[in-house]
Amino acid sequence: MSGQLAEQPIILGDVPSLSKLYLNAAANTARRRILGAHPDPKLPTGSHEVRAVRVDIAKLTSYQHLLGETASDVLPAGFIHALAFPVSMSVLNRDDFPLPLLGMIHLKNHVEQLAPVLFTETLDIRAWTENLAGHRSGTQLDVLAEVRIHGTEKVVWRGTSTYLAKGVFLPGIDKPLVPSQGTSFTPPVPTGVWELGLDVGRMYAGVSGDFNPIHLNALSARALGLPRSIAHGMYLASRALADVGAARGETFAWDVQFEAPVFLPARVALEIATSQGMNGHWQHSDYVAWNPRSGRRHFSGSVTAL
Amino acid sequence: MPAAEQPESAANQVSGQSLAASVSERSLRKAVVVGGNRIPFARAGGAYAKSSNKDMLTAALDGLIARFGLQDERIGEVAAGAVLKHSRDFNLTREAVLGSALSPETPAYDLQQACATGMEAVLGLANKIKLGQIDSAIAGGVDTASDAPIAVSEGLREVLLDLNRARTVPERLRILARLRPKDLAPDAPTTGEPRTGLSMGEHQALTTAQWKITRGAQDELALDSHRNLAAAYDRGFFDDLMTPYRGLQRDANLRPDTSLEKLAALKPVFGKSLRAEATMTAGNSTPLTDGAATVLLASEEWAEARGLPKLATIVDGEAAAVDFVHGKDGLLMAPVFAVPRLLGRLGLTLDDIDFFEIHEAFAGTVLSTLAAWEDDKFGRTRLGLGGAFGKVDRSRLNVNGSSLAAGHPFAATGGRIVATLAKMLHDSGTVDGRPARGLVSVCAAGGQGVVAVLEAN
Amino acid sequence: MTDRYTQFVDHGIGRDIAKRLGLPQPVALRRYQPGEPLAPGPVLIQGTGPGADALARELLGWNVDVRRHAEPKEKLGAVVLVLDDVAHPSELGRPVLAMGASLRDLAAGGRIVTISRTASSAESPAVAAARQGVEGMLRSLARELRAGATGNGLLLRDGVETTSPGVLAALRFFLSGRSAFVDGQFLTISTDDGGLPGNPDRPLDGRVAVVTGAARGIGAAIARVLRRDGAKLVLVDVPASGDHLAAMANEVHGTALQLDITSQDAGERIIRHAVERHGRLDIMVHNAGITRDKLLANMDGAKWDSVIAVNISAQLAINEVLLQSDHFRESPRIVSVASTSGIAGNRGQTNYSASKAGVMGMVRASAPQLQKIGGGINAVAPGFIETDMTARIPFATREMARRLNSLQQGGQPVDVAEAISFLASNAAAGINGEVLRVCGQNLVGA
Repeated sequence: MSGQLAEQPIILGDVPSLSKLYLNAAANTARRRILGAHPDPKLPTGSHEVRAVRVDIAKLTSYQHLLGETASDVLPAGFIHALAFPVSMSVLNRDDFPLPLLGMIHLKNHVEQLAPVLFTETLDIRAWTENLAGHRSGTQLDVLAEVRIHGTEKVVWRGTSTYLAKGVFLPGIDKPLVPSQGTSFTPPVPTGVWELGLDVGRMYAGVSGDFNPIHLNALSARALGLPRSIAHGMYLASRALADVGAARGETFAWDVQFEAPVFLPARVALEIATSQGMNGHWQHSDYVAWNPRSGRRHFSGSVTAL
Repeated sequence: MPAAEQPESAANQVSGQSLAASVSERSLRKAVVVGGNRIPFARAGGAYAKSSNKDMLTAALDGLIARFGLQDERIGEVAAGAVLKHSRDFNLTREAVLGSALSPETPAYDLQQACATGMEAVLGLANKIKLGQIDSAIAGGVDTASDAPIAVSEGLREVLLDLNRARTVPERLRILARLRPKDLAPDAPTTGEPRTGLSMGEHQALTTAQWKITRGAQDELALDSHRNLAAAYDRGFFDDLMTPYRGLQRDANLRPDTSLEKLAALKPVFGKSLRAEATMTAGNSTPLTDGAATVLLASEEWAEARGLPKLATIVDGEAAAVDFVHGKDGLLMAPVFAVPRLLGRLGLTLDDIDFFEIHEAFAGTVLSTLAAWEDDKFGRTRLGLGGAFGKVDRSRLNVNGSSLAAGHPFAATGGRIVATLAKMLHDSGTVDGRPARGLVSVCAAGGQGVVAVLEAN
Repeated sequence: MTDRYTQFVDHGIGRDIAKRLGLPQPVALRRYQPGEPLAPGPVLIQGTGPGADALARELLGWNVDVRRHAEPKEKLGAVVLVLDDVAHPSELGRPVLAMGASLRDLAAGGRIVTISRTASSAESPAVAAARQGVEGMLRSLARELRAGATGNGLLLRDGVETTSPGVLAALRFFLSGRSAFVDGQFLTISTDDGGLPGNPDRPLDGRVAVVTGAARGIGAAIARVLRRDGAKLVLVDVPASGDHLAAMANEVHGTALQLDITSQDAGERIIRHAVERHGRLDIMVHNAGITRDKLLANMDGAKWDSVIAVNISAQLAINEVLLQSDHFRESPRIVSVASTSGIAGNRGQTNYSASKAGVMGMVRASAPQLQKIGGGINAVAPGFIETDMTARIPFATREMARRLNSLQQGGQPVDVAEAISFLASNAAAGINGEVLRVCGQNLVGA
């Protein structure tokens, strides 16, 4: 919290173009390879903000259709994440950002949908980074984003994405002493199966604007060291959120932890378990997804009433 | 259905009596219209350009649920349909129910009878209620001209299916070699009749010319439709019949400021190849429209137990069809036959009806229908009556506007009309000491028509 | 749901910076959650009269840790100072100073509640002086409290016991997180009417409530809180907001009524809808309101008239119909949303302030009419509440408005909703014709 308030946010004129950001990131990676790692392992202290963002209704509807959301006039929480994503990425793309942006792994995501946001609303989006920390296989950090109704202090959506720069160890940042243990996982009886085609990455890129090459096709993924393209983590989490359905209401907390990536094409088994309170009101839905052949867990999470 | 939730009369089953007898005992109670909800109708390519049928039907359902407090309610059955439907929407209505705030234990089915889809959904569900099979139902309809399905050509379709069955590479190549450039052109839906190749507008142009309906009369009817609909909005008539969607708060097609002069300035679009003057313009024909409408139906007991209104009773309905293929009758003239049959069965004449809701596919359709009913020879030779069927009092016709102003998302029109009429009947209560009566008449592609009589409750 | 400044100064570096610079240090307020304890620690009841003893016995039955004497170093959740029998200002010193000694032990989010009698009903100048003295003392004390603690008072008309339902209900409200943003305020309890709810977490069970302006903002918060507290809901808003309204109705399992409250038949349609759908109508919450700000020199007739029509004329008309209806007879409650602008005035809001002051006038004058049919009418006057409406105020002005109160932050819509839900309950039957400010003890106004 301290960093982003210590100085005024940098106001960006428009939502940055993700493809340009990715190109720039690739250039940065190359430059670092030549010049060596960043000397000062500190996160940028400022935040980036884009004001008066308007939602394109056609994009919203395509998003709702792709993810299986009811096409109501309310923005799905995952759609807001996609809106905020370029602003977040622009922070990670700064010259003083100490980690390579390309190839970073999305570890987990926490979203608070604090009020329903209608497509007619104009939004201010701010993003900043926090909590640079060691991870047993690299360095992790939190990217925070906050969405407000334009020109107001009313926060309607808040998100924390935790990323890992694998294999990057910065001077002065220690690895955690106790490596976190992967919990053993026995697949439950699935409540659903997703058939994800090769084009899922491209389709989600189309509605979210996230054209990260690791999601687009096998070739571009291989260029970044992956055997095949992988599904966007937020595509998976957003589909699980849509599958929770109308019961979740309009305000909720939404969590996901990513484990094994989903290589495309894929069959993903899914279980959604819903808990009701004593009065029969929905309280939370927990979801877990796994590879039905290997039994490896892809991701798990929950949607909880606020 | 557990026994405890059977309709009440079924619980009084006399032991030893045959099942059929006990079923017929509980039958024939009233089916009432509780109310309705629709989203404003948008012009094709407008506010709902990217919205699917499922999106719009779900939005209309959710507004209905909110209006009548049906959250988590298990409705007896929901039936709706769309005329233009994607193959993936094979279970459109059930999918919309699942996306809505209704109980996921609510069953649903799709049906389709062209532009009469919504009417047939109302009549079919009302019959189930009357028979005691269900206590509550939602009838609906939705259509999008913006998000219409486009099929691949027949040639491409065959190739793709064969390709799917092929096992070897050479076999696949052989099949692919069959493709011709023309096969790649998509097959977009049209309003053309498969058997005649004529569009609905061209068909109506024949009928309009046959009944010598003038351009002026058609424009006047269109003007009335816009004026009546605008006035209904201004009085707040639609406040409890509609829920905004995608930023649209009124029917986008409505032109409150239109005039005879403006309508007269439009160029004819249909019937230009006929010998008679072309009279049908974009102003006196309905435009392609997107939208959805729903109607809540129930038994009286179900409505009373929930404190819900009983606006009107679905009295009776009738479907008819005409042989339009060889020009014996006009494509959209089936209601001309359905209405005399229905009113005859009920012992009524046109003079006994207080409100007429005749769907305005084209102004010419409504005027041709009225002309046929007023025609002595037609009455004698085609309707088997002693003379003309009768005259519709124009002051009772579409008094809150109809499709020319509101637009006509095909399957949604029945729901729009039934909810609107039920409210009008309820508002007027009694006429001459008896409940107010309304007649609905909807023509449909394929030379069909579905009509119904409602009565104030 | 706190603003960013509050988050900033609530932690680590931000807190240090704020302390050093002497900036306001608002904290996250203790807000109500069903099932949580009434106060964040034991409740000390001070005062020696029979009223204090009776109250202590009553509170023991609430599953509250009651103390009659402060124990050294023990953190206290609340201090209730019972001064219902003071007869002379010179008697105030001892109990007030004793309470002062306990303030250091008050927990974060703690409560001070005084219980005294209305000065206007005093029989002698000395009694009146003592009673009014309590009010002055409490208002200053509330400004001295820190860490989200608040101070409020109950004023009992003569003849009302310290254990009467209205007193107990108001005490519960002030002790709980429901009153998070109510500070330095007094509620007058005029009668022994009313009864405590069987389940304190569901005080509105079985009641049917109408909320106008329910599609968004404070109205939506009111709908959620009334629903949580057990009421069945009719949500009213203009047809143009029908989509928001439908979403809210489906969320709180109520029914949506698209209606312009300024239309002539609004009252009848509301009653008909509530009675037909839900069998009854018990609670009317007049929340719908609009602003059309302009300096009076630039104000046109349309701006003035529309604000008066929606904010006060509509309420008057609907109340008139309600009072005549046979369906509004079972302990009916009306709660109107007023505004501190109607008390202290606000530049550019002559029309709005007229309408909101009008609401307070209406509430006072309607109280006897409601009394006659066994009901009550009250108003809640929100101060600076974080909503879409206040969010449009320019930044500097907004920041000033937000910090200029004892809690040094803006309130949340839910804070207004909690006060409304309390005043809508049968337990508040002894409270009638009052205006409760939910303003964090704003500096402006009384």
